[in-house]
Amino acid sequence: MEIQPSDLGLVARVAGLGKRYGTGAGAVAALENVSLGLRRGEFTAIMGPSGSGKSTLMHIMAGLDSPTAGRVWLGDTDITHLPDGALTVLRRRRVGFVFQAFNLVPTLDVLGNVMLPFELDGRRPSGEERAVVDALVERLGLGERLRHRPHELSGGQQQRVAIARALATRPDLVFADEPTGNLDSRTGREVLAILADASRAHGQSIAMVTHDPIAASHADRIVFLADGRIVRDTQRTSAEEIATYMLSMERAA
Amino acid sequence: MIARLRTEHAPTLLVATLAAAFGVALLQVTGYLGSAMRADDVTGSSATAALMLAIVAWVFIVIAVYVSGVVTANTVATVVAGRTRQIALLRLLGSTARAQRGAIAREGLAVGAVGAALGLVVGTLVAIGLAEWAAVADVLPRVDHVWADPAVLPPVIVAVLTTWLAAWAGSRRVLAVRPSEALGNAAARSQEELTARRGRTATAATLAAFGTLLLLIGVALGLVTPLGVLVGLVGGVLSFTGIVLGAHAVMPPILRVVGRALGTSPPARLAAENAVRHPERSSRMTIGLVIGVTLVTMFAVAMESYRDLLLAATEDRPDLRVGIEQTVSATVAVFGILIGFSGLIAAVGLVNTLSLSVLQRTRELGLLRALGFERRQLRAMVLAESAALTAAATVTGIVLGTFYGWAGAQAMLGSVQGIPLVVAPSIPWGVIAVLVVAAGVLTLIASLAPSRRATTVSPVAALAIE
Ligand SMILES: Nc1ncnc2c1ncn2[C@@H]1O[C@H](COP(=O)(O)OP(=O)(O)O)[C@@H](O)[C@H]1O
Ligand SMILES: [Mg+2]
Repeated sequence: MEIQPSDLGLVARVAGLGKRYGTGAGAVAALENVSLGLRRGEFTAIMGPSGSGKSTLMHIMAGLDSPTAGRVWLGDTDITHLPDGALTVLRRRRVGFVFQAFNLVPTLDVLGNVMLPFELDGRRPSGEERAVVDALVERLGLGERLRHRPHELSGGQQQRVAIARALATRPDLVFADEPTGNLDSRTGREVLAILADASRAHGQSIAMVTHDPIAASHADRIVFLADGRIVRDTQRTSAEEIATYMLSMERAA
Repeated sequence: MIARLRTEHAPTLLVATLAAAFGVALLQVTGYLGSAMRADDVTGSSATAALMLAIVAWVFIVIAVYVSGVVTANTVATVVAGRTRQIALLRLLGSTARAQRGAIAREGLAVGAVGAALGLVVGTLVAIGLAEWAAVADVLPRVDHVWADPAVLPPVIVAVLTTWLAAWAGSRRVLAVRPSEALGNAAARSQEELTARRGRTATAATLAAFGTLLLLIGVALGLVTPLGVLVGLVGGVLSFTGIVLGAHAVMPPILRVVGRALGTSPPARLAAENAVRHPERSSRMTIGLVIGVTLVTMFAVAMESYRDLLLAATEDRPDLRVGIEQTVSATVAVFGILIGFSGLIAAVGLVNTLSLSVLQRTRELGLLRALGFERRQLRAMVLAESAALTAAATVTGIVLGTFYGWAGAQAMLGSVQGIPLVVAPSIPWGVIAVLVVAAGVLTLIASLAPSRRATTVSPVAALAIE
């Protein structure tokens, strides 16, 4: 009997992960021998220089992309070789996403976008779920905007809609890839605080890629990537310490 | 970039080729018939007959060219909508809107010229093929005919000019693209645009109301004189122009109703939303087909009403009735095919615009995949969207065509028996059945390429920042 990721308190796990793009001399190794487990209810920040493989890691862990080596689990399901259909359903039920941009369906209004995960799952939210959504919408300050379309919102508001959507179905795990990358730092931190808060309230796990040491200092755990490898894995630490480490990494590069 | 331009222009090229080929083939065939009549001129009336043929041919050519113009303008508008960001970036870097619009119009001119030249060749070959078939099947004697006839050039020139003009008209939105759209959300519409849309809706409503009034006056006049049909014709053209112009207001409610009929599965609901939420886009996709189906239905209804009237009038002359049946059926068949060709051009337009619009929604499709939409659900969504568009266009066309056909028949025939007569609209069920089947086939064909495309979208690639 193999040990299941959940026995270790993990919601997602990768082991010996490798990802190569292209073949032959032009091949790029985006990830090399990465092993990482995301713990239940924990807020993990993923940091590293541009091109270090953060997005690739996140996509593979979320079942959006497949690795060229190693294994991937989402919950207790080994998704490494899962057929597309099953993987899609798993993603739909267990994972929430906030991307850097293009998060929203332009033809749907705010409410339509927030309810999209239910819609895609072909069901109506239960009364309890509806209450969760209403609370989220209130908390994110979107109550007045439910009938607005994405292009009528500011960047920060759009990201808040994306967060509401990612949390609406209360998935085990939320992935956020530089969710504040297009926002000014104040709006960005606001958005992050909401994300961290909302998830802690429901014991959800978050994995977030960020460049902002202050944002990362709110995380329970910080994983640093460089050249496709994990170079440091630490518990919560100060923004200054994170900034110093990031600087030293950039110098070394 | 070049490859993308090529795929974007392929639809316009095809439409220009089809329109020019249709015109050339029609004129070549009438020219050939003219030669045949001259060779066998016993009554000395061949010149008049040839002239009549040419006039009839030109009526159909004008219809085909008009539909091709509408289709091309809408295709170009779709392309421009997809290029908004790129246009905005060039504007940001200092290019003028005028220069950009001029460039698109020039692309249209070049594509139109190539398409028309191809059409000249294809149309002539088709006509030669038909003449050959007629000779072999013993329908017509083999006659000497010069195929290199300058008389067939006008539709070629008209096709070039129409494509040029349509590209110009369709690229109007270039003027409204603001440089800031390169940085922000491309879906945003400016205040001026919304004002322009309101103005357009008002013009369309006025045209439709005034035209319908005129049409009804024509129908009333038709009770006493067949000349009522001329008043009715003007009213019909005006009101229909109003409908075409106001398609962005007319089509969405219809699409909403049709969309509801698709069911409540997630793909169907998203497809219905897609069809409704972007009124410009969905009206661009459907209006060509509405025109085509309206024309076919109108003509068939008018002929059917005429036939029923003739049959009623000759109840006691069974010897005549057979002849009437045959003549009317043959006329409906020939004219139906000729107008149907415009419907074909419109169908090409729908296939293209749907493909383009799916292509332009790559990001959205990738997002849906990331959020948990399965491949088969995406496929179902594209199919449902295609079905909603086709069904809405076909139903609208059949309803409008029935009304116009009846109005035409009433205005023309209301006075023929000396006493005012109300002509009941006769529904040509055969033609309707053909239209419905064709719409079903079109739904499938139109969704083929985009659904293949939609299912190969990788969520990761779609979400990558450019
Ligand atoms: N589709 C792709 N094809 C080729 N190389 C890619 C592709 N996606 C990412 N890469 C490469 O993989 C490496 C890691 O990319 P990414 O995960 O996006 O980095 P990060 O998100 O940390 O900036 C980079 O060198 C990048 O160029
Ligand atoms: Mg990245």
